[in-house]
Amino acid sequence: MTELAPLSFANGDGPLADLSVLELVGEFGTYAGQLLSDLGAEVRRVAHPRSAADTEAALGELSGIDVLIRSGGADTPELPGFDPATIRSAHPRLIQAVLTPFGSDGPKAGCPSTDLIRLAAGGLLWLGGYPDGEPVAPYGGQSSLCTAIFAAIGVLLAVLERDHTGHGTTIDISAQEVLIQALETSLPEYELTGKVRRRAGSAPQEAGTGLYRCGDGYISMVAGRLGTARAWRRLREWLVEEDVPGAEELFEERWETLEFRQQPEAISRFAAVFGAFAETRGKLELYLEAQRRSIALAPVNTPSEVLVDPQLAARDFFREVPDEITGRPRTVPSPPYRFWAERDQVVAH
Amino acid sequence: MLRGIRVLDFCWVGAGALVTKLLAEHGAEVIKIESHARPDNLRLSPPYAPGVDGLDRSGYFASRNNDKRSFALNMSLPRGRELARELASRCDLVTNNFRPGVMERWGLGYEDVARLNPSVIYLAMSMQGADGPNRHYVGFGSTIAALAGLVQLSGQPNREPVGTGTHYPDHIPSPGHALVAVLAAIRRREQTGRGALIEVSQLEATVNMVASAISAAALGEEPRRQGNRSDLACPSGVFRCRGEDEWCALAARSQEQWLALAAVLDDRPPLDGDRPLAGGLLLADARFVTLEGRRAHEDELELAIAALVADRDCNELASSLQAVGVPAWPVLSSVDLLEDEQLRERDFWRSLTHPVLGRIAAPSAPFRAGKDRTGPTQAAPTLGEHTRDLAHELLALSDQEIDALAAEQVLW
Repeated sequence: MTELAPLSFANGDGPLADLSVLELVGEFGTYAGQLLSDLGAEVRRVAHPRSAADTEAALGELSGIDVLIRSGGADTPELPGFDPATIRSAHPRLIQAVLTPFGSDGPKAGCPSTDLIRLAAGGLLWLGGYPDGEPVAPYGGQSSLCTAIFAAIGVLLAVLERDHTGHGTTIDISAQEVLIQALETSLPEYELTGKVRRRAGSAPQEAGTGLYRCGDGYISMVAGRLGTARAWRRLREWLVEEDVPGAEELFEERWETLEFRQQPEAISRFAAVFGAFAETRGKLELYLEAQRRSIALAPVNTPSEVLVDPQLAARDFFREVPDEITGRPRTVPSPPYRFWAERDQVVAH
Repeated sequence: MLRGIRVLDFCWVGAGALVTKLLAEHGAEVIKIESHARPDNLRLSPPYAPGVDGLDRSGYFASRNNDKRSFALNMSLPRGRELARELASRCDLVTNNFRPGVMERWGLGYEDVARLNPSVIYLAMSMQGADGPNRHYVGFGSTIAALAGLVQLSGQPNREPVGTGTHYPDHIPSPGHALVAVLAAIRRREQTGRGALIEVSQLEATVNMVASAISAAALGEEPRRQGNRSDLACPSGVFRCRGEDEWCALAARSQEQWLALAAVLDDRPPLDGDRPLAGGLLLADARFVTLEGRRAHEDELELAIAALVADRDCNELASSLQAVGVPAWPVLSSVDLLEDEQLRERDFWRSLTHPVLGRIAAPSAPFRAGKDRTGPTQAAPTLGEHTRDLAHELLALSDQEIDALAAEQVLW
């Protein structure tokens, strides 16, 4: 058996180690540059040019640069002489990634935005929130992060292309279009059934699937659909073993079908039975026991709880880096991918 | 761009399927392995084409598997596993998002495949990673979002957490990060001739989407749900307009934007300078004159805005606000998006013809290279649609051998 060793991309050894990236910090943050930096690219960050002198300086920095990452659109006005086409004519090998709210052209390209506005335009906002209230955005500037991820994907495709052709290209990334990748079933549902999927909130949409309150917060569970029929059976067995009042009833034949479990009557009856049990348990206890039974249940964690998650700790996921501004240590996640290779290859490399 | 790259694809259901979808759209040959004995669960998942039975009727499956080739191979039979290994030896990438151990039991773990094919790039994207105490834990996008902290942080502060309303991690965080890693590994292989194992943890991919909250919590500043409000804009919210379930998102992140917003809502021409005039409901209100004032009275501000927009047409309101430089947009649903002018102008939607579903709209990749759009060209395959072609091309099987293997339910 060969032995595997992790591939480290520090010390100029990553797959992008030959690439110099200049990232102009703007509306869409610095995550695209971070993703490339984690793969070995040398990334330098400067503020977006705001004056003719800034533009002159930024243009001067472009020789020797392989990738330029920048935000565009109304919130990051383009200064004369610093548009992608002009830059491209002077630097034909340069790959430019322009992150914009709605794309670089089209009737709405010049509209200003915020994260909330981009989520509205991309359809993700429509799906979030409580059925009896307004649509609610997911936390934390998701539109910028998602756009940055697809910018990194676009850049990598352009790098592969340039390796073969020698030509750079301009990647035009639209946050609106990026978010449409996240709309799940809603497009085919409309096309096939004419039904416009709406926000459903966190309340269960079927018995066994959704958010449930427990002793110290909430848990999220999926038991019964998409190949988890066995989990639904195990869930009932668990409740019976715990002598939960009403659990026996869940073994009646009608509970076998997903159609019944999606009826309001079933949803509320199950919520009452399971809820009475869950109220007496903590979310961690429920997580461990459910997973022991191969039921997809997870605690609704606070960020502090994520920081002490035993799985993430066992994998040394969090690390401390000096904060770019304050210099103080800052706890950050590691990249979500690890590269491994056979040990002899790693050493040889 | 990825022409010549062949992928043996065991990515089922959600997250993984979007990785190989984008690879396929960019020219890779993606061979999806499943069988009638064990189809991809997504084939059994609604929405379905009305009035149709069987494994080729799921619109959800179709939306994630365009441009792939389907090879029906029964992995529960030894001969099926043997053929899969043979296929793996002729592919550049092998991908899966099973629980750790499944591929290994089939003799298709990274080390097994690398023995046959040393330069293979192997993507394993499990829920929580290949090692650690919870490596075998099961999950879905929604439970991973809960575990990662995203659900707790999303929603109104005075109500229960609400999350994103979807299995969000499956749609962008997990496949997006995996694609970054795969494309980097392809470049490394082109430069060095070497393969690699890429291990993606879907939990870790999602925690990266709330990294700022994690960093804050580590400093003792536990972030809280804030609904649609923002530290960067005030107001920042979603307001009901005339009609059923019509909502306009709007925000102001500068004094200039606030004055323009207030003027539109007060239905007055924009003012010259910062000084409010008497008469307008928002502009005349002393509480809302400065950003500090608006923040201090955000509840009242939102109530005032809600009252002013309740009778307005959402699209007209958003257009009026956009015209004066205010960030505003109708909250678009799936049907709105299919008709959206901006997307149409950018040639975003493709139309594919599926043998069971008929014509379906499919989104392009969300970026252009110059003016070039890359996106879906072929509808998702029916189960086993390409088995015979691929058995000829890659396994050099004759028609008789293929028929015999089909009768034995190996190619099935």
